[in-house]
Amino acid sequence: MDIQLLRSQIEKIDTLPTIPSILKKLLGVIENPKISLNEIGTFISNDPVLTSRVLKVVNSPIYGFPGRISSVNQALILLGLNVVKGMLLGVSVFEAMQKTMVGLWEHSLGCAVAARIIAKKKDLKEPEEVSVAALLHDIGKVVLGLKFSEEYKKIISDAETKSVFIFDAEKNFFSINHADAGAWIAQKWNFPRSLIEVIEYHHKPHLSKNVTMHTAIVHISDILIRAKGFGFAGDNFVPVINNTAWQMLNLSESDIKDILDEMEDSLSQAEDFLLSDD
Amino acid sequence: MKWKILYLRQRISFFPMTNLKTIIVISKDVVLTSIVDRLLKDSYTIVDFSTIQSSLDYIYSSSPDLMIIDISPDDVFAVTLLNEIKSDPIFGRLPVLAVFDDQFVVYDWDSMLIDDYLRKSCLEVELIATVGLCIHRAERMVEVNPLTRLPGNIAIIKQIQKRLDNNEVFALAYADLDYFKPYNDRYGFSRGDEVLKMIGRLILNTVRQNQAHGSFVGHIGGDDFVFIMDMEYIEKTAGEIIDNFNKIIPTFYDYDDRARGFIESVDREGNKRTFPFIGISIGVAHNRFRKFSHYGEIAEVASEMKKYAKCAGGSCFKIDKRHIESVNQRAL
Repeated sequence: MDIQLLRSQIEKIDTLPTIPSILKKLLGVIENPKISLNEIGTFISNDPVLTSRVLKVVNSPIYGFPGRISSVNQALILLGLNVVKGMLLGVSVFEAMQKTMVGLWEHSLGCAVAARIIAKKKDLKEPEEVSVAALLHDIGKVVLGLKFSEEYKKIISDAETKSVFIFDAEKNFFSINHADAGAWIAQKWNFPRSLIEVIEYHHKPHLSKNVTMHTAIVHISDILIRAKGFGFAGDNFVPVINNTAWQMLNLSESDIKDILDEMEDSLSQAEDFLLSDD
Repeated sequence: MKWKILYLRQRISFFPMTNLKTIIVISKDVVLTSIVDRLLKDSYTIVDFSTIQSSLDYIYSSSPDLMIIDISPDDVFAVTLLNEIKSDPIFGRLPVLAVFDDQFVVYDWDSMLIDDYLRKSCLEVELIATVGLCIHRAERMVEVNPLTRLPGNIAIIKQIQKRLDNNEVFALAYADLDYFKPYNDRYGFSRGDEVLKMIGRLILNTVRQNQAHGSFVGHIGGDDFVFIMDMEYIEKTAGEIIDNFNKIIPTFYDYDDRARGFIESVDREGNKRTFPFIGISIGVAHNRFRKFSHYGEIAEVASEMKKYAKCAGGSCFKIDKRHIESVNQRAL
């Protein structure tokens, strides 16, 4: 398919659906009259689709500061409880590809957990920004899976049978991969430049110019979480760590041990959030 | 400063004695005038004119609540006059209800500045409801700051005075930004406007989250904002506004400036120097310990408290703790 055509098709996407287990919990959240902005914030920060939705609205020209807000908590403060609740009412569900998508949700959430831990370890001023970027890094997969669901199923099975990485299988089919698709939609939704850059370069962190550290952290988190076997990003094997990113992070062996230990606790909570029924 | 000017102006009362609302009716059609009179005279004060030019003096001197005008679109003179009245900002808020012939169709609403219309054949059925709606709509539309869409000065003054007149105990907070000018100079006014829009949303939502009903947020202009709350919520809210503000403001700076934690800009004397990130100062006045009868007095105290907060450096808020006795003693 022609790239321009593909891009315009993707840019037409207005909102993304979430997975059924999230929707079920979401309704409980909206109906609770006593819920605070903080609680809603925690809930939203655990779902890539809800997060992207909130960031899309707060960065829309209506509020008057497009491209500025990259944290869920800040977005909620600026939108206000009523706007947020109203916005969440319109969320729909992914029926197709349920199994793959649940895996992807876990992968995204795991990556966000890992990125926050590493960002804190590296004393970054805004660990939440990095964790949001990690949560959204694979949003392009959601976009492609939604817009071209049949084709994408085939790509996933191709990647498996031919033992290639999903981004290579995407490239073979679309001549772009999910990182490009994610960056397109993030641009279209007026996401901050830093966020777009991480989404675009999470497989090629050495190309990031303005937020090299953020991109490196998300890249490493992506690989760490795959290696840990948490969630399913579409690939059966773990890609190689980019050398530039690795050197930039400069993690010692004990750092890595700390990170893995801390991940263990947070991940079981994340899993509860995604899969439990209450 | 802005408060001072408003303070001086206040003697022109914003709160006329509540009589019946006044409607002026402009029509040469005696049948129409008599229908309107019959339907509305019990609920409104009706003043009739046969032409728009004969009504001008009345409009300019008494500012009625609604104008009902029987107008033929070919009457270019009348339409021009009407448009001139409506294009003056003072009278632009005067709602105009036109009465049209049944055949008449308007294609271009820019060329005729009216707010609503009725067809002659519907007068008997629709007039009362439409007039009521027009007047209500005009009252609902408080004047707002175009940037933040928050209520502006007149609405702020009304809010404060209404509470004082009702003897309510309340807190009035006055917020403005520190180092906003260097930000504007460094990044340009459109980026400065982004910050103002952000702070407007931030104050509005933080105030509403703490007190959903009975609170008020207004935008005086520039980087000056006002909010009104019950005493019990004010301290927590002001603190949260400052915390939230300090968290969000760095994202309004470019990456390198953000990493440095300050910007380079020019001071009022034209010298190049470095400036910290924008901060917010909030001064709070209230009428728990002393009585104010006029909005200007409490606004003055809020303004004083804000200056005091500014001296403290960094983002912070100060609440007036003085009792009227101590204030008097100091004056002696």
